[in-house]
Amino acid sequence: MAERADVVIAGSGFGGAIAAYRLAEAYVAAGADPHAIVVLERGRRFGHTDFRQSMDVANLSKVYDLVQGQGMQVVTANAVGGGSNLYLAASLRAPTETFERRDRRPDDGPERRMWPAALSRRTLNRYYARAERGLRVRRPTWKQVSKSGGLWAATLNEAGHTCDRVPVAIDAERCVNAKWCHTGCIFGAKNSLITNYLAAAEALGVQVRTLHEVQSVRQSSARPYRYIATVDQLDAETKQSSGSVELECKALVLATGAMGDAPILMRSQLGLPALSSHVGKHLGSNGDHVAAIEFDPQRVHDILGLGRYHAFHKGMPITTMSYDWWAGRRAHDYDGTRFTLQEIFLSTLTNLLYDDGRSPGGDPSWWGVQKKDAIAHWASRIELLAMVEDTNDGTFVAPSPTGGGAVQPNGGPIAFGTFDYTMSEQSLRVREAADAAMARIAATKGLGRFMKLTETRGVYCAHPLGGCRMADSAQLGVVDDSGQVFGYEGLHCFGSSIIPTSLGVNPSLTIAAVAERCADALVARGPSLGLPAPPAGFRPGTPEEIVGPRVIP
Amino acid sequence: MDFEAELTRRQVIGAGVAVLVAQALPLARAAPAQAAGASYTDALLQAYADTMIPGRKVAATESGAPVDPRAILGSDPRPGAVECDALAIYHDPRIGFDALAPAFLADLALNARGDFLSQDLAGRTATCIRGLDFGNPLRLLWEAAAAVPFVAIAATRTGTTMMGYPGAAPHGYRDFSYRRKLARERTRHGSLS
Repeated sequence: MAERADVVIAGSGFGGAIAAYRLAEAYVAAGADPHAIVVLERGRRFGHTDFRQSMDVANLSKVYDLVQGQGMQVVTANAVGGGSNLYLAASLRAPTETFERRDRRPDDGPERRMWPAALSRRTLNRYYARAERGLRVRRPTWKQVSKSGGLWAATLNEAGHTCDRVPVAIDAERCVNAKWCHTGCIFGAKNSLITNYLAAAEALGVQVRTLHEVQSVRQSSARPYRYIATVDQLDAETKQSSGSVELECKALVLATGAMGDAPILMRSQLGLPALSSHVGKHLGSNGDHVAAIEFDPQRVHDILGLGRYHAFHKGMPITTMSYDWWAGRRAHDYDGTRFTLQEIFLSTLTNLLYDDGRSPGGDPSWWGVQKKDAIAHWASRIELLAMVEDTNDGTFVAPSPTGGGAVQPNGGPIAFGTFDYTMSEQSLRVREAADAAMARIAATKGLGRFMKLTETRGVYCAHPLGGCRMADSAQLGVVDDSGQVFGYEGLHCFGSSIIPTSLGVNPSLTIAAVAERCADALVARGPSLGLPAPPAGFRPGTPEEIVGPRVIP
Repeated sequence: MDFEAELTRRQVIGAGVAVLVAQALPLARAAPAQAAGASYTDALLQAYADTMIPGRKVAATESGAPVDPRAILGSDPRPGAVECDALAIYHDPRIGFDALAPAFLADLALNARGDFLSQDLAGRTATCIRGLDFGNPLRLLWEAAAAVPFVAIAATRTGTTMMGYPGAAPHGYRDFSYRRKLARERTRHGSLS
């Protein structure tokens, strides 16, 4: 007989952690034990002191999952706390225009608003505010802006553009500006989920089981239990299954992200025959498109008065961005031509991506003597992330036999995605426009050399979205605006898989805000699912901050 | 097979070199292998790494491993990929390039139209342009082999120092900011309304 729990939550990233915390506080308010809530995480548990500031092969194998599909490579995390361990903590509200978007792939149904009618920037604002409190989001002062972010701001200013400071989920008191967010913050300065929502949920009694990966779901007839999840127990080193268990539950929340939720549902279709035909479709990249600028330190000194710039490696990894190619363009509401330009630190490995920016052009552009010279001037560089209004161009061709949407051949970080990503004309065109804008800014008064992404097909993506998009009907999407799967009461998707379009900003705060809204709906629906009812007047609070052991310089 | 669509260098972000290696395995199995001694093949791999990210002539790598005297041309005065132990990464089982090496080296010899080790900078560059051309059906092998030198630069002290990057920063940085407003801002709180 399957083990029983009230609620099973697959995944411990933003969607899963927020679901766990909100349910747990409702349980406590109702006088029930949150131990009946079980979070299943396929990865291991890392504390701050377990992370390493290293790009060697051993460390990369430990903290990253790299999913290679046809036409898109996705970088994901694989640990308790999900992507929040490795993300760069930029925490922005998506602009109003995002929720009003109507641009889409030509084969993506009738002309319409792409988000559900109930969701807009206005209706999400209260959930954004709640997520900002939970994640302790703060906007850095100009004194806290990194030199690379400051240089981007000054360059834009010189070119006649505006540039804004980016709110971040980073504690400025604990942050020592080491720019090592991307392999996990050893200082406990980044407000990842293991310091707030997830830690607070566990403190209330929620179970978090590591190395447990949900494979499929089927219905149960033993009311109030509705679903049975089949779960593989994974070996920490090989990442292969070492056994299987079943968990029966009253409500099931899939929060394994855009790489996981759709394949789990696709694998479950025999037992869930009423699933929308949109499962596995409309996989997106959040419009990610990267490039770099190498600055001339002397010109930075002479023209901008900022000294000779050699400081790409210092400060927080994201501090400034420009909205000038997004805002104030009312005539372009729905034509898919907007983008934002953000200064970012990806890693030292991105050397490989860019043209050397030197004359003569032509081959070789990304290796050889000229490229070596570009690498030797790395510290005078900034990297830029354009987040463009592309269309969600990916489709899972089939679910992988096990796991999320990928086949994991060994204990390394590599997995092979079972999805295809072929960019639409709009997705290509808007990236070209972003390149042209970045090149023009770089050339301002000869300040820098633009180093273009040397290949234009395919997508490198750290922000996968979609695959189970929310919509107003099963004819257009997989879940409703509360994250409940159409046709299946008590079966939910929270998190990145339900976001229907690219956002124009880093997606974590929007994923969190949508998850907060979905969690409210699940708590309200709880009694009809056999879950405890919080007392009248119950109001969601703010998760306690629990930083835990950390490195103190 | 459309190799251009199949493969982008973005695949080697992070530990993606192993992705390339794994994807290229079928090609390696299909391609003829070249019989050669270990020292010669190691010299060829080092020479290829030196063509991708050239460096100064050295007799030993950062870890003290020997460098074949024919491998480095010395076409850049700073440390290059060979000095950063690229050869060790070629042989790292977590990367798995050893499975590709025979096929890659065979195609390297084919495109070199002679002995790659004996070529000067112009010759080696021309060879690699041919090998990395999208028209080469074995390009994937060349991409995988090219990714390794970039990993070597990022993963070694010699490499990061050459880049002007201190690497690990256990104490962070105090001089991280210009500490003043540098642009007009469009928003009040950081996000657009």
